[in-house]
Amino acid sequence: MSDRSIPSYVPRGGPLQGVRVLELTKVWAGPFAGKLLAFLGAQVIRVESVESLDTTRSMTGKDWDNAPGWQAVNPEKLSVQIDIKKPDGRDLFLKLVKQADIVIENMRPGAMERLGLSYDALRQVKPDIICISMGMYGNEGPLAYQTGYAPLFAALGGVSALVGYEGEPPVGMNIRYGDSTSGTASAFAATVALNHRQRTGEGQFVDISFVEVLSTMISDTIMDYSVNGAIPACDGNRHSNMAPHGAYRCRDDAWIAIAIPSDAAWSALTVAMGDPALGEDATLATLERRQARCADLDARIGAWTADKDANELALALQALGVPAAKSFNSIELTTDADLWADDFYPAVTDLNGEPRTIVGPSWKMSSPAELTRGSPALGHDNDYVLGEILGYSVEERTALTEAGITC
Amino acid sequence: MTALSNIRIVELSGGVAGEYCGKLLSDFGAEVIKVEPPQGSPVRALPPFAGNDRGPDASALFAYLNTNKRSIVLDLESDGGRDALARLVARADVVIDDHAPGWLETVGINPDMVGASHPGLTLCTITPYGRTNAKADVPAEDLTLFHAGGWGYHTPGGVDPAKPPLKGAGRFIVSYEAGMEAALCVSAALFDQHRSGHGRVIDISKQRVMASRLDYVLAQMLVGDMDVTEARGAFDLGGPASIMPCADGFVYLWLSDTRMWWAMHDLMGKPDWMLEFPEDWLQKGCTPERVALSRQYFTQWLKTQNKHEVAAEGQKRGIMVVPINTAPDLMDSPQYQFRQFFTELDHPVVGSASYPTVPYRFSATPAVLAAPAPSLGQHSKAILDSVTQGAAQ
Repeated sequence: MSDRSIPSYVPRGGPLQGVRVLELTKVWAGPFAGKLLAFLGAQVIRVESVESLDTTRSMTGKDWDNAPGWQAVNPEKLSVQIDIKKPDGRDLFLKLVKQADIVIENMRPGAMERLGLSYDALRQVKPDIICISMGMYGNEGPLAYQTGYAPLFAALGGVSALVGYEGEPPVGMNIRYGDSTSGTASAFAATVALNHRQRTGEGQFVDISFVEVLSTMISDTIMDYSVNGAIPACDGNRHSNMAPHGAYRCRDDAWIAIAIPSDAAWSALTVAMGDPALGEDATLATLERRQARCADLDARIGAWTADKDANELALALQALGVPAAKSFNSIELTTDADLWADDFYPAVTDLNGEPRTIVGPSWKMSSPAELTRGSPALGHDNDYVLGEILGYSVEERTALTEAGITC
Repeated sequence: MTALSNIRIVELSGGVAGEYCGKLLSDFGAEVIKVEPPQGSPVRALPPFAGNDRGPDASALFAYLNTNKRSIVLDLESDGGRDALARLVARADVVIDDHAPGWLETVGINPDMVGASHPGLTLCTITPYGRTNAKADVPAEDLTLFHAGGWGYHTPGGVDPAKPPLKGAGRFIVSYEAGMEAALCVSAALFDQHRSGHGRVIDISKQRVMASRLDYVLAQMLVGDMDVTEARGAFDLGGPASIMPCADGFVYLWLSDTRMWWAMHDLMGKPDWMLEFPEDWLQKGCTPERVALSRQYFTQWLKTQNKHEVAAEGQKRGIMVVPINTAPDLMDSPQYQFRQFFTELDHPVVGSASYPTVPYRFSATPAVLAAPAPSLGQHSKAILDSVTQGAAQ
């Protein structure tokens, strides 16, 4: 049972204070867009129902309120239960739209229309509503019927083809890459539409393609094809403007990333390696010459790093002006003192009234939105949304519940 | 007009992250004045180039990142240059910078004071670790931040421990991510600035942007809901999903339940080998042996298939199978053509080329790539004249 004393509405400040967002999303990309808007101060309300739970609530069994995946992506949001598949639920949702600024959805193309919640239907009750429609391939078009998860966005968007060892088939990014990137592009689009509405009073429909979002992460590669017809093969860790450039094994199977963007950094690296002769070798004095001998240099650096402590080595190289970093495993990522000191992992009050550490916003800004609560229990904010926003009396709310519309 | 017309932005960026941030806003109509040093933005020297020209206007990367912007050359090491910058900043809504921490102070902008001196201005800085982080001055590149942000160690998934971690796709994935995060924050800040008159000082850390993209995974690890380990496969899901070769390239095949298993059986012409697997193995018996064996059979069959055809047939049956696309696939994609993802733009040096546009279609105020990237200092005189007139008034 969740802690019902956790208030639904607390003014939190932030640039989007006063903006109300309704979320009809599932899994990660859609909810991440809502999370960013909530972190910027918007009041984000997830409209949910037991009949159509987010899989992040249901995948680990019955305890949908405490489901780990759900709690990860939905802090600072409100939850109201409305079964929008019932006609009366749909009408109730439209009443809520009338009190909202933005609707975000990542249903399959056509699903909103089938529910009677097309953009035109929303616009009839709220002429300046902003509708953010998210999908793998967008809402319409010849391939819009295709669906998938993040690694499919990356494959289709041209990202996966670029990641692989030299001379080998592509292996792609980590399977987790793509959802949060797509959610960020969608949140940005929502704020742009808000700015336009603020100045003109005009809302609009925004149709987002996750596949295209991922293509924008490799735009320079696409430009190279466009201008020169170039189609790059997998090239391991090579870089057209830096050499050496790679990850090198250290003691205890740790790794260090080193990137050499200049002749000066190269010289500094050779000093650190205790091999100034290498630094004075004229055949390695330029980027082009180092690139030509990349494999040889990678082997020499790897032999040098093999018995070193990755963290100490990174610090030593950084002190010499060489871009280097220990490759963070998940232990280091979650315990890095500097990330904690920057309040990147703030504590909020979870649905049981207990403190909970979350991944906070990446940014810091003056006059930020406060972060107060964790991810909501299903229907935690029914009373606030139905009572305070929509003005239903206790009796009316009971009737809605008995009719199976609200929970 | 487009969504951000009438917004005035001064962009001091010299890297991909800051220029991408400016572009995301300029493509929505914001007036972005790009302030460049006499030798030009460092991005002008980065490939790809069109043909053999290596001059300041030949970079296709710069051409992509600076559509719709105007360029003014200012020598910010001179009093005159800094004075002109101060005038530009005085009438701007936003300033974007991606130089190293401390650089802004040298050109007369102090991030800690700007809230008092320019209350109606939003200042957004993009730096490797964030301006206030203990590592603020640590030298960094996208690669080292890909690793410091938690992705490098875990890329690729399903890793062979004998091989090193891989960089992300292309050269600038970290910079694009950070530029997009910056644009989100600036756009949100502008919304409040318009109603309250107060701007914000925004500090974007590339490391934190990358770590925050791990959201679903990282948040669960923080509270012990997922294992926190030294394993390079700590983010992986297991299962047979992977990139597999086919007759004309590669496909990505995702299989996670019995329904997809039988749909695959149907697609492949009902092969007998699939009947020897328990039908619910994907959910209840996903052993490494079965994963390896099924991949072997799938690969044999896929080698006889073309990537676009097998993806279309699979998708019609509800199978999550897609081609591994390359740049020409994107240009030929009927979906990209339908959404007009590419637009032709003529640049005096780069020439006529198809540019990727934006992944969001706006019904009322679409992003428009109206003007090619400016040549170095193309608008210096016009901008200086307008600033001088403003001062005279």
